[in-house]
Amino acid sequence: MLSGIKIGLEIHCQLTYLQTKLFCPCYSDYRFKTPNSNICPICYGHPGTLPLLNKDALEHASLLSNALGCKIPNEIIFYRKNYFYPDLPKNFQLTQYNAYGITSIGVDGKLEYGTDTTKSARIRRIQLEEDPGRLVYEDNSMGSNSFYTLIDYNRAGVSLVEIVTEPDFTTPKDVRIFLNKITSIVEHLRICDTRLEGAVRCDANVSIGEGKKVEIKNIGSFKEVEKALSYEITRQKTMSSREIEIKAETRHWDDARKITKQARVKETEEDYRYFPEPDIPTIVLENSFLLALKRKMPELPDERRRRFITTYELGDHVSQVLLDNKDLADFFESAIAIYPSPKAIANWIVSDLIKFINADDHNRSERNHHRSTSISGLKIEAKHIAELAKLVDQNIISRTTAKGFINQMIKTGEMPSQLLQKTNASKIDDKNIILDAIEIVFRDEKSAVNDARQNSKATNFLLGKIIHLTKGKVDPKIALDLINKKLFESA
Amino acid sequence: MVSRDEIKHLGWLSRLELTEEEISKYALQIEKIIGYLDKLDSISLSEIEPIRSKKNISELRKDRIQPFKGDPLLSSKYRKDGFIKGPRLS
Amino acid sequence: MNQEFSAEEYISQILERIEKVDDKINAFIIVDSNGALEKARLIDKKVRNGEHAKDVGSLAGVAIGIKDNICTKGLRTTCASKMLQDYVPPYDATVIKKLKDDGAIVVGKLNLDEFAMGSTTEFSMYGSTRNPWNTSYVPGGSSGGSGASVAASECAISLGSDTGGSVRCPASFCSVVGLKPTYGRVSRFGLISYANSLEQIGPIGKTVSDVVMVMNSISGMDNNDQTTVDGETPKYSLQSNGNIRVGLLKEMVEGADPEISKCVYSAMDLFSNLGCRCEETSMKSIEYALASYYTIAMAESSSNLARYDNIRYGFDLSPDNYECNAYFAKVRSNFGQEVKRRIITGSYVLSSGYYGKYYLKAQKVRAILKQEIVSLLKTFDVLIGPTMPVLPFKFGEKIDDPLKMYMIDIDTVVANLTGIPSISIPAGFSKNLPIGLQIMAGEFQEQILFNAALLFESSANVQRSPDL
Repeated sequence: MLSGIKIGLEIHCQLTYLQTKLFCPCYSDYRFKTPNSNICPICYGHPGTLPLLNKDALEHASLLSNALGCKIPNEIIFYRKNYFYPDLPKNFQLTQYNAYGITSIGVDGKLEYGTDTTKSARIRRIQLEEDPGRLVYEDNSMGSNSFYTLIDYNRAGVSLVEIVTEPDFTTPKDVRIFLNKITSIVEHLRICDTRLEGAVRCDANVSIGEGKKVEIKNIGSFKEVEKALSYEITRQKTMSSREIEIKAETRHWDDARKITKQARVKETEEDYRYFPEPDIPTIVLENSFLLALKRKMPELPDERRRRFITTYELGDHVSQVLLDNKDLADFFESAIAIYPSPKAIANWIVSDLIKFINADDHNRSERNHHRSTSISGLKIEAKHIAELAKLVDQNIISRTTAKGFINQMIKTGEMPSQLLQKTNASKIDDKNIILDAIEIVFRDEKSAVNDARQNSKATNFLLGKIIHLTKGKVDPKIALDLINKKLFESA
Repeated sequence: MVSRDEIKHLGWLSRLELTEEEISKYALQIEKIIGYLDKLDSISLSEIEPIRSKKNISELRKDRIQPFKGDPLLSSKYRKDGFIKGPRLS
Repeated sequence: MNQEFSAEEYISQILERIEKVDDKINAFIIVDSNGALEKARLIDKKVRNGEHAKDVGSLAGVAIGIKDNICTKGLRTTCASKMLQDYVPPYDATVIKKLKDDGAIVVGKLNLDEFAMGSTTEFSMYGSTRNPWNTSYVPGGSSGGSGASVAASECAISLGSDTGGSVRCPASFCSVVGLKPTYGRVSRFGLISYANSLEQIGPIGKTVSDVVMVMNSISGMDNNDQTTVDGETPKYSLQSNGNIRVGLLKEMVEGADPEISKCVYSAMDLFSNLGCRCEETSMKSIEYALASYYTIAMAESSSNLARYDNIRYGFDLSPDNYECNAYFAKVRSNFGQEVKRRIITGSYVLSSGYYGKYYLKAQKVRAILKQEIVSLLKTFDVLIGPTMPVLPFKFGEKIDDPLKMYMIDIDTVVANLTGIPSISIPAGFSKNLPIGLQIMAGEFQEQILFNAALLFESSANVQRSPDL
């Protein structure tokens, strides 16, 4: 009988909104640049160079510490983690370490997640560290057949913030929900643009019952984490049922074959010989800084979700979906600024628009990193949805037609009114056909006809009936004209 | 007692290829050195904290781009297609 | 700038001198004749065009030698090691930039113990440097080339680096003046690290005023080095102030060879006669200083030298067909014996389980030493003692016993551990071999140090230039 699945996470987020790297004034944006063109003597590890700590990196990391309920110490220290690897220019990594005293940028936090608020995970610590360079293998595979490794140091020195959780997760699904929340938080804090390739990575560790802890590395994206964990749990359960001992080890996620496999090089207790970096003084974070930081905190996803529920009267589920992706929440608020119908617009987004976004995710990582105000590269903008909602509310188009319009708008970026005009070209504008329809409606809706002479709402009602009768084919303008004529000619 | 095995292990941690002769020689010499460093055990130290220089966050580097104008690759001999060539991974 | 004697003539004479004597001394690894002459011509041109003195520079035309662990742009910088045999820095160290801005002329790079690890300059890939006072004797180290070149008049001033005494030791052994500034006074950007919490770049010259002149050029806060201290860059002056309280460190004097102790007591008498209040005093925790120093220095060096893997700079050995750990190990076997010893010992003291026993304890000892020194400096303006506990010795005498070699640093490491400034000035001779007097002052109190040194120098009148 297996009990106690325990999963812990080590999440790395690049601080992509910083201009420069963590310890030198090179561009932090290294993507798509010629190899080794975004480097300087410091990040390339030249002899005689010294690390120059980036002030804003500390601020961004502190915002994250606050958001995750962590305590921020008054004194911050950087440590050297010593090991040899070709992607490490100094053969040590500058990072943080708490074994000799609490000196990393955040400790002992907690984050609730999911709509069920009894779910939470403890944050053991948050630390700042530098990214290494990138390795490419001569024959393009991680194979031992390659004669040499090719190294690009453009990324070396970019700021990373690492979040280490306690092993408080019990299912891969919970991990996915948690990671979605982390994504939303770092987006709302404007410290990490998670859409950029490689901006967020996650390693996980898993143990079952009394079994030893297995680390899983090389998981390419947040989306892969759930799959990797599911696989690994199944693997461990199988071994357990056959009474095979589960050893403590590190395994790599093979994305192509969708399995975890033993790491080729045994990562035995590499002795990292940590010691405090002598070239960086202890950084003092005074209480005034910490207080000012609290005031600077932007609206976090939970607060925003609560505001959506109270101010816009949205449902729990709808709010949750909107907040899962900051782009969606922003899109929603832009749309209601144009046409204030929150419930309707939220529904349009959550029911209809969302499937296009999820389908597009696959393309996102390969796309260029230009941030748009619309949703992730789709041609649709807030104004499209705002107008669409308005037209439906006014009965000018039916819901079915509107759904069809969304399909179109995604591809062409045309406004609903433009699409409406196009469809109207193939509409019934033969007066006689319309008059016939009017006859029928007027006969069936006598009281509405009477009201319509006073009240334009009733006129709209009649128009709606006619549209319905003609299966949306009638040109609303012409029909409205004829209705009014008929209403007032007999007067 | 600093053993030959310890020297071998430390040689590995530091990526230094050592001859058998070196391992033996260093084991003896370093044992003496460590013996001297053990002097630190004889002074009472519990009450004191190490001194570190301190800086306020406001004194740190501003997040402003300053690309390097020289050629960092001046002394890099082993390259291919703009990459730096390194030994293959195991 | 003497108008009758152009910079070009002066530099030519310097280069001639180097050619004449450096075969015997071996102070230089590289001599940059072309670069030096070109710079000299430029200065002469500026002077001819009537440019104002301050635009030509406070050090205009002065010939300076640079220890080869300080980066000079475009000029090979080797640390006397195979691991940097072909390294040409793409940038100037801050001190080099400042000196160049002030018109100084770099004539070449000076020999040292490999990666600054040593006290005799015997651990260099380019052979030992010889003491100009007697070429069978060591010049001191690790900045042996810096000390010898100035003594032999191969350059007017030189820069060295001092981690545990590496500027003061050769100054003492070569009868010249050498300063280790307060930690954080001079930028370390461009100084190739050996032990970064202990070291400073320091000037060597024939007189105190030469050293002061260089300090006025190289001191100050640097944005490229976050361990330099904020605040206005001081301008040091030459003052002969007699009202100094002098404390003689008993433990240092008693631990030195008798001829040296005798010389130091004479120095104390001289200070007394000049009107200073002198007293013998004690520093109890000094017996732990050396153990603390070597623990910290070796630990830091084991990490600082990790970057030398021949991938981005180094010597000729292609990585083709090597597995990466095998390549690193093979390449790094080209470090010298002393460097390897320190890397291994440094890894030992930092390794799992030993941090508390060695490194942490050593740092705590530093704090105790600092406390004691600060307290002593309430009573005294300066503390004096011998720079070295021994006279210069013959080549090979201590090279086979590492611990015996380390012991000669016993008087100099205190200043590095506590960060305070310390200067070595010529105090006399014994058996025709130089003896140096060490003077220490409080943190950032270089002016007081210079006052005391100048006072002594003007009365003591010790020979600075050997017959070569």
